[in-house]
Amino acid sequence: MKGIYNCEVIAHSEVSPGVIRSLLHCPEIVRQAQPGQFVNVRVAATTTDPLLRRPFSVHAVYPNEGLFSLLYVLVGRGTALMNKIAAGENVSVVGPLGRGFDLGDSTGAQHIIVAGGCGAAPLHFLSDRLCALWGCENVKVLTGARSKNALLCEAEFISHGVEVVVSTDDGSYGHHGLVTELLQRRLFNSQLETHNSQHIRVYSCGPNAMMREVARIAHEAGVPNCQVSLENNMACGLGVCMGCVQKIKGPVPGDTSGNNWHRERVCKDGPVFNAEDIIWD
Amino acid sequence: MTKPDLSVNIGKIKMKNPVTVASGTFGFGQEMADFYDLGRLGAITVKGTSLEPWSGNDYPRTVETPSGMLNAIGLQNDGLDAFVNEKLPFLRQFDVPVIVNVVGQSVYEYARVSEVLGKTEGVHGLELNVSCPNVKKGCLAFGNSPEGIAEVVKAVREVTDLTLITKLSPNVTDVVSIAKAAVEAGSDALSLINTLLGVAIDPWRKKFRLANITGGLSGPAVKPIALRMVWQVAQAVDVPIIGMGGIMNEMDAVEFMLAGADAVAVGTGNFVNPMAAVEIIDGIEEYLASANISDVKQIVGAVGK
Ligand SMILES: Cc1cc2nc3c(=O)[nH]c(=O)nc-3n(C[C@H](O)[C@H](O)[C@H](O)COP(=O)(O)OP(=O)(O)OC[C@H]3O[C@@H](n4cnc5c(N)ncnc54)[C@H](O)[C@@H]3O)c2cc1C
Ligand SMILES: Cc1cc2nc3c(=O)[nH]c(=O)nc-3n(C[C@H](O)[C@H](O)[C@H](O)COP(=O)(O)O)c2cc1C
Ligand code: FES
Repeated sequence: MKGIYNCEVIAHSEVSPGVIRSLLHCPEIVRQAQPGQFVNVRVAATTTDPLLRRPFSVHAVYPNEGLFSLLYVLVGRGTALMNKIAAGENVSVVGPLGRGFDLGDSTGAQHIIVAGGCGAAPLHFLSDRLCALWGCENVKVLTGARSKNALLCEAEFISHGVEVVVSTDDGSYGHHGLVTELLQRRLFNSQLETHNSQHIRVYSCGPNAMMREVARIAHEAGVPNCQVSLENNMACGLGVCMGCVQKIKGPVPGDTSGNNWHRERVCKDGPVFNAEDIIWD
Repeated sequence: MTKPDLSVNIGKIKMKNPVTVASGTFGFGQEMADFYDLGRLGAITVKGTSLEPWSGNDYPRTVETPSGMLNAIGLQNDGLDAFVNEKLPFLRQFDVPVIVNVVGQSVYEYARVSEVLGKTEGVHGLELNVSCPNVKKGCLAFGNSPEGIAEVVKAVREVTDLTLITKLSPNVTDVVSIAKAAVEAGSDALSLINTLLGVAIDPWRKKFRLANITGGLSGPAVKPIALRMVWQVAQAVDVPIIGMGGIMNEMDAVEFMLAGADAVAVGTGNFVNPMAAVEIIDGIEEYLASANISDVKQIVGAVGK
């Protein structure tokens, strides 16, 4: 069950300029967390400014040590404060929260992970679990970034034993172009003859524009299962404020307004959704 | 010393302690039941409920501000039938009074929702939300004048005997005259305050941060205003008051009670610390014990100069 935990901060490390990995000790969260779930961290313990907790995806778990890590970009005051909590100090963490990825229920599927920028954070945990469940040979990672030094987690994905293909917008490393072009190629080239698209599952996290394109490509290729992890602005993270909503296809039962859509909470009904259900705007 | 008596009454609602939660910050309880036994609360106040489902405002709906937040949810809810059939059965399991926050676009809608809830087992009180700043029709349009508020309260009073709590807006020039009008029209109690109208701007994109442009401010930033209004209204009316606005801990709650609130509600504080409400109950008890006060009712309105 999710809870509020006082977790000891073990260490922070800068994995690339402006991107931090923080290691926290919390056996309860480590036991429960599923790939795609997140935690809500109180970065300021004694002041009310900033007031709200900050959501971060679970990036990796180390069950034997009771440790888990977060991987985040320094974007504002909250993430800066998070990075300044000294090793040995405790931080209040609510979690694990939200609905994570559906990892499939049978062997024989091809699992394609598409990561954009810091969307790699939850996908790292996902790749680890998919490998353990279905074998690394059935998992592929396509990961993209603006340029070589902004690329995250490549070495970690490789260390899981999965095939990794890289793209950079500026061409400084790997394919010169967008990560979605890698997906396009993979889903529409001849390899598909050996792998019927019915057996392909796509998992994605990154900027919204990228995930929208991933969803479009997967749909066109006839991939039956494409999941995306959204990052809407959150106040509670618990599902009680209705702040983080996303437009989803189909009316709610009892709605007589004629709307052919409704809104769901990213923090509670997601953050992982079936791409087919989302109304991108 | 024996344990202090924490019980209070709001109209016919018997609360075992003076702490409830603020509507819209606790959903319908399900999510929060993961953290503690909801039966520990003095009462549960649920999200605004309308006759038909409302889809609410566009996203983004929330933004953090210094020691507070703005929200423009727009009262998204699945409507009365879904509340009665899907949410209420869960809440009935707990030994706790349920207060339903009622919203509408017309006087008819307030009265219709209230009439149905008055006949529904497991509903103990109605909080009339005539103060939400985030919807275009109804709501605040009624709450910002004595005549408007009286019209809604009278119409609801005629159709139900349930305890009526009118929730007042801080976005008015004279909260006292509006409070008096609500009481004269038959309100058994008052709750205050709802959120304060505000905006936030992104200087880099040169755009408003909320899709709705304006939102309601809540959290510690609003506490002094809320306290002032509770104190003013408490002196002017004889009905119980539920005070809220920036309550984060037991000392905030005690301040509201000293200012004249018979009970308090925890709102934004639930987001920061999901255990806030129960920690506040324990904290009030400890405060009373260490001050040698045997009954929480003794501190209501006991502020000195
Ligand atoms: C479910 C979820 C998982 C996330 N996982 C990660 C992760 O693994 N790594 C990572 O780098 N970032 C992640 N984010 C984004 C991260 O929460 C924000 O970057 C962070 O809150 C910014 O805080 P700040 O105070 O530094 O920035 P500020 O801009 O000062 O924050 C102001 C407000 O905006 C909110 N906010 C700002 N940017 C975002 C955003 N992109 N998404 C949601 N809220 C935002 C903050 O929570 C805060 O309330 C995740 C967001 C969500 C919703
Ligand atoms: C996200 C959010 C949603 C709210 N929804 C409602 C609502 O549906 N009905 C209502 O009467 N008040 C609503 N409110 C107002 C609160 O109940 C409360 O009056 C206000 O937030 C002040 O208390 P606080 O500072 O402790 O949050 C909402 C507040 C927030 C922050
Ligand atoms: S952040 Fe409050 S419902 Fe999702």
